[in-house]
Amino acid sequence: MRPLSTCMAIALGLGLLSCGNSTTEEKLVLTGSSTVAPLVSEIGKRFEEDRANVRVDVQTGGSSRGITDARDGIADLGMASRSLTSEESDLQTFTIAFDGIGIVLHQDNLISSLTKSQILEIYTGDIDNWQEVGGNNAEITVINKAEGRGTLEVFLDYLQIENSAIRADSIVGDNQQGIKTVAGNPNAIGYVSIGAAQESIDAGVPVRLAAIDGIEATLENVQAERYPLYRPLNLVSKDTPEGLTKTFIEFARSPEVRDIIEEQNFVPFSP
Amino acid sequence: MNNLSSPRSPSLETIVTILVWAIAIGVSLIFAWIVGDIAWRGIGELSWQFLINYPENAGREGRIAPILVSTALILAVCMVVAFPLGIGTALWLSELTASASKLGRLVGRSLDILAGVPSIVFGLFGNAFFAKTLGLGFSILSGGLTLACMVLPILIRSTEAGLRSVPLDYRLAAAALGYSRTTTLFQLLLPSSAPSLLAGFALGLGRAIGETAALIFTSGYVDRMPRSLFDSGRSLSVHIYDLATNVAGGDAKAYTSALVLLMLVVFLDLGAILILRKWLQGET
Repeated sequence: MRPLSTCMAIALGLGLLSCGNSTTEEKLVLTGSSTVAPLVSEIGKRFEEDRANVRVDVQTGGSSRGITDARDGIADLGMASRSLTSEESDLQTFTIAFDGIGIVLHQDNLISSLTKSQILEIYTGDIDNWQEVGGNNAEITVINKAEGRGTLEVFLDYLQIENSAIRADSIVGDNQQGIKTVAGNPNAIGYVSIGAAQESIDAGVPVRLAAIDGIEATLENVQAERYPLYRPLNLVSKDTPEGLTKTFIEFARSPEVRDIIEEQNFVPFSP
Repeated sequence: MNNLSSPRSPSLETIVTILVWAIAIGVSLIFAWIVGDIAWRGIGELSWQFLINYPENAGREGRIAPILVSTALILAVCMVVAFPLGIGTALWLSELTASASKLGRLVGRSLDILAGVPSIVFGLFGNAFFAKTLGLGFSILSGGLTLACMVLPILIRSTEAGLRSVPLDYRLAAAALGYSRTTTLFQLLLPSSAPSLLAGFALGLGRAIGETAALIFTSGYVDRMPRSLFDSGRSLSVHIYDLATNVAGGDAKAYTSALVLLMLVVFLDLGAILILRKWLQGET
């Protein structure tokens, strides 16, 4: 039994090997941010559809890895879910989408806008009643994201605090869970991807997005980089992109992939 | 032997018995809970379609066919490489070296340390050595070879224990009958240690199939149908990890994929047991 299965495995392997080497194909390798990877993976699939000899291989490992790999030339393009630091200014970035994060309140909440410092004080527990920010006399239910969520990182980065500083009443996982929790509690405050929140609002879920410092959480404001709570999703290149790499970047920034980006709850780069 | 049930403390006896039972039941309950939870949440989406179609929308929709194929290929590479190496090393350790010898001890100790190394270390090693130094890139081959390094200690130790448990009398009898070493090995030692060999194989396979950290940087993330062993291919465990952590709304599919993985482990174990029974029947 055992030698037979071994032989079969080898035969299968050889069979696969032989059909893999026949065509002359162009391969594009991207590595980096695990937030951007699922999105670029989908963009890559559509890119391959019209180009028979092109393969787009997407690998993960985090933004920093993407930047290193792009610099070392191991990857054609890196993926980073943040802006580059000053030490990384030798690389070129191409924003393909934004991850905008909205503050979600219940529909019945009187508050329409919060300032950054109010959000900070609510999340660190210094403010625990809606009255203190001009709302009803009701205790605030603070909803935080679970450790490891991309939105949590952006949120903490925006407020410049550690997760341990947050006094949360409830921890949620994905966007949907966050929205459902706020919808079920008139005194709750949470934060989720704007795309997901907008989708739920359109579907009639009783929540709404609060403005930050008077700036509405709309896709337009994120696109124009007016809205403060967001991060760019970037492709990173060592040299000025040419050939297939250039075509791919242009494709990823074009309206052709708008629906894919929206499906992943991100804000498209192209207007 | 009668001091085992000392007449002085019958109550202690009862307490210990109850305690042991409680622990055993508790552990079984935890296992049942995990399996039950995965099955409960995953079974809704499970169907043939789920197994034979392609993933869409970053895995939120669509299925896992290419991922199953990649997983199978990675495991095949891993086992094809690890099995002969594992048995060879185990034979050397148990039959050709005195266990007290310096070299034997060194190899044994190294294996124990290797077995305790976190899988992400294997992943980074595989990425540096197989993917970059040997130029295999992100590929099923890199992933399979990395996994082979990881399961080798388990395979070797378990096979070695099996070989050592074969009584010395058997070997002496074989020598007295004029059997050559090779004949003794194939006719006697390997068949009598088959159960532990297979246990090691199943354990190794179990560790390999559930591995994520070692594979993310070696076999990679591409969820396309692999066309050769040099293609990158996403394993089931990497798929579950990605759905659960990076893809909002991927939880349902993550559970279904986890259920498939669990069933795969059970089938492989059952298969191993069946093969063992057949083999032993054939020998006697």
